[in-house]
Amino acid sequence: MRTRIQQLLALAAVALVVAACGGGGQSGGNGAAGPPQRGGSLTVLEAGGYAGAWPSGLDPATNTTGGANLSQMNAIFGGLFRLDADENGGNARVVPDLAAGYDLSPDGKTVKITLRDGVKFSDGTAFDAAAVAFNFTRDVSSTCTCAPRWPLVEQGGISTEGNAVVLKFSRPFAAVINSMLVSNVNWIASPAALQKLGPDQFKITPVGAGPFKVEGDQLSSQLSLVRNESYYKQGQPYLDKLTFKTIGGDQPAYQALQAGQAQAYEGMVTTPLIEQAQSDKRLTVTVQPPTSPYVVQLNTKTAPFDNEKAREAIYYATNVDAIRKGLFKDWYPAAQTFTGPGGLFYHEIVPGYRTYDLAKAKALVAELGGLTVDLGTLRNYVAEQANTALQSQWEAAGIKVVMHSDELNALIGDFNSNRWQAMLQTAGSWDPAAGVGVSFRFSATSPFSGVADPKLDDLLNQAAADVDPAGRDALYTQAGKYVSDNAYAPYILAFAPTNLSVRGVHGPGLTTKIPPLLVNTGVQWDGVWMAK
Amino acid sequence: MTVAEARAPGALSHVLHSPSLRLVVRRLLMAIPIVLGVSILTFLVLSLIPGDAAQLLLGPEATPAQVAALNHQMGLDQPAVLRYLHWLGGALHGDLGNSLVSGQPVTGELGSRLAVSGELVGLAFVISLGLAVPVALLAAYRPNRLVDRISMLVSITGLSVANYVFALLLVLLFAVRFTVFPAIGFVPVGQGLGENLRSLFLPAVAIAFPLFCFYTRFLRGDLVDQLQGEDYIVTARAKGIGPWQVLLRHAFRNSSFGLLTVVGLNLGTLIGATVIIEQIFALPGIGQLLLQAINTRDYVVVQACVVVFAIVAVLANLLTDLLYAVLDPRIRYGDS
Repeated sequence: MRTRIQQLLALAAVALVVAACGGGGQSGGNGAAGPPQRGGSLTVLEAGGYAGAWPSGLDPATNTTGGANLSQMNAIFGGLFRLDADENGGNARVVPDLAAGYDLSPDGKTVKITLRDGVKFSDGTAFDAAAVAFNFTRDVSSTCTCAPRWPLVEQGGISTEGNAVVLKFSRPFAAVINSMLVSNVNWIASPAALQKLGPDQFKITPVGAGPFKVEGDQLSSQLSLVRNESYYKQGQPYLDKLTFKTIGGDQPAYQALQAGQAQAYEGMVTTPLIEQAQSDKRLTVTVQPPTSPYVVQLNTKTAPFDNEKAREAIYYATNVDAIRKGLFKDWYPAAQTFTGPGGLFYHEIVPGYRTYDLAKAKALVAELGGLTVDLGTLRNYVAEQANTALQSQWEAAGIKVVMHSDELNALIGDFNSNRWQAMLQTAGSWDPAAGVGVSFRFSATSPFSGVADPKLDDLLNQAAADVDPAGRDALYTQAGKYVSDNAYAPYILAFAPTNLSVRGVHGPGLTTKIPPLLVNTGVQWDGVWMAK
Repeated sequence: MTVAEARAPGALSHVLHSPSLRLVVRRLLMAIPIVLGVSILTFLVLSLIPGDAAQLLLGPEATPAQVAALNHQMGLDQPAVLRYLHWLGGALHGDLGNSLVSGQPVTGELGSRLAVSGELVGLAFVISLGLAVPVALLAAYRPNRLVDRISMLVSITGLSVANYVFALLLVLLFAVRFTVFPAIGFVPVGQGLGENLRSLFLPAVAIAFPLFCFYTRFLRGDLVDQLQGEDYIVTARAKGIGPWQVLLRHAFRNSSFGLLTVVGLNLGTLIGATVIIEQIFALPGIGQLLLQAINTRDYVVVQACVVVFAIVAVLANLLTDLLYAVLDPRIRYGDS
């Protein structure tokens, strides 16, 4: 039923766009106006089924949808580190936030994270090395899919030195800080509050040291936050109140913004609506630099894609240019490897990458005696449109396709149970070593990968370990070619969602560009303000 | 002893022997196996869905011991019959268990959500019936004239447009263009009845509009049939009763039975409608909760929602039957 609802809503959206009100105008460029003003309540909308769903609560150690809930988590917990960028999204770099800095040993096996002095959680207890080490230990031992995959040494992997926390790894892990940004270890919970409330209540009313504290939380429906008066940045956050509301999708969210019921919407993906919003004078439309490419993951651990010929047939049957240009009017750039133009180590081309060749695809399918594929994806406009195109392209090559799309949690369940054949997924993050990056999608130990190839694991581990950026770049290029040569996963395009806000709202990641860490941008809520 | 007190036992006896009360008691007793049947069926279906809930919750990295421990903690290692009886025992004490995903008690969550959905559905019924009855009467009074033709056009249009499309159009018109009503969100009654009704008005109209169209066409058709073909109408007219009186006191009373039946049957459809409308208007109702629970495979919440829906459906049917008796004194349930 849900699929039908979404499809029909999308249809209705297109129909309504024609009738929707609005005039000509410019979009973007609303971030530099200032100086920031203090006060105001901002309501931000999040799409149900993705960023608007936090069914397991907001405890960093158990929040299975943490990557989708970057906004909520950052608003409550802040972060040890954050991704900053220039207003145009360029020069993206990781900077300390609640941490004061870090030192990575030359061999990449030890990292010492120093914390700011005098920081307090919103419950008044100390945000210190002991609290951070407690969180790290708890996160690592969590059975949640959100647990960090650190190669810690068995004894003394996490320790404290004064107001610093030291992590020791069994192998070099130079990407540890970059990968923290999209991991639950970046969000530090108050140990005192956790003990006082107990884990079940803490996940509903978590306590952190971020810019806001929880006032009310109805899971996957509404999260009300108020200013954390003891936040470490003097004068910030600017907003008095920040409310996250879950809404059914892009079209209702767009109309709610137009009606003045909310001031921001994160993660719009319906291309016709984005174009419509760009001509609405009341709105600021910020298209983020694409970080994460869409890739068709082929599950090589099971039939039919345990056969390389079947995987090659998919490559040859896939006409990426037709999807990019015909379907999305060149809105999203091409990507043949692990990141988009907004991410580290982006390369548009992989040498020798298989391109569309219908005759070869047909020949391979005939040789296989036919090919039937179950193709899934997340319920999302871009993904579903692309999958529909893939279905028709593949069927032209004689491949029978059963298509379905699911909410995030259902999708996680499919991956966990290894009940999938082909999935169109985003497969990248700002740093390929981080989060839903290459290890997540390609390493043998990840449940979200359909590949079990020790050589590829080794390449990816080397790329994450190398302290030299040029060395990492070369290794990722090599790994990209390896993926292509073995026909593990055809890349489609690099995608980034769009953030909308009403005029008068300003803020980093909302009205300025910051490359998405995963799919959504990490809005820096402590810097968001509203003109009175 | 006062006169009133002296009469009390007799009055009580009268009430206890009232056919309507006997109907209520009998139907409530009949409802028990129905609700039990629904709960057993739901439990069976949810139990048959493949996959280990504990493994799903803990993730693939969990050790077998951790999975076993969580299964034990949630009582999922017990036979299905025992698990059902345990759930039933809790349900009889008002405890519908804890959500598998959030760990929170389901009963409290259901209560607040049910209040939102209940108010939404109630308001939708009031709007749809409040408009459909007078429009149908006007249309039937002079069939095939202007009012009838306009109501026919509106009804056909309304029945052809899905309510979510209508919902988006309503928002566009009344929230975006004219900012008369909010586009999203719910204001509890505690924050003011006016604001509460304002927040529910557009979603209720979105649900009510197709119902209004259907009820109008249904009632109008039935009224016209009655007016044109029934002997009692001819008799009434022969007695010199005016056309409005014939319409209201005779034809409408008879037609209201059919209308009442379809209103009762519509309740199931409305549950489906609330799921969509609550998503569009960001309303924290039971439809939204059910959708989330299905998406997260939270079987405990799904089970609770389905049972609540079954109870509401049974109660709605009971209410419909009671209204029959109110509308037609000849109907005496329980009498031979």
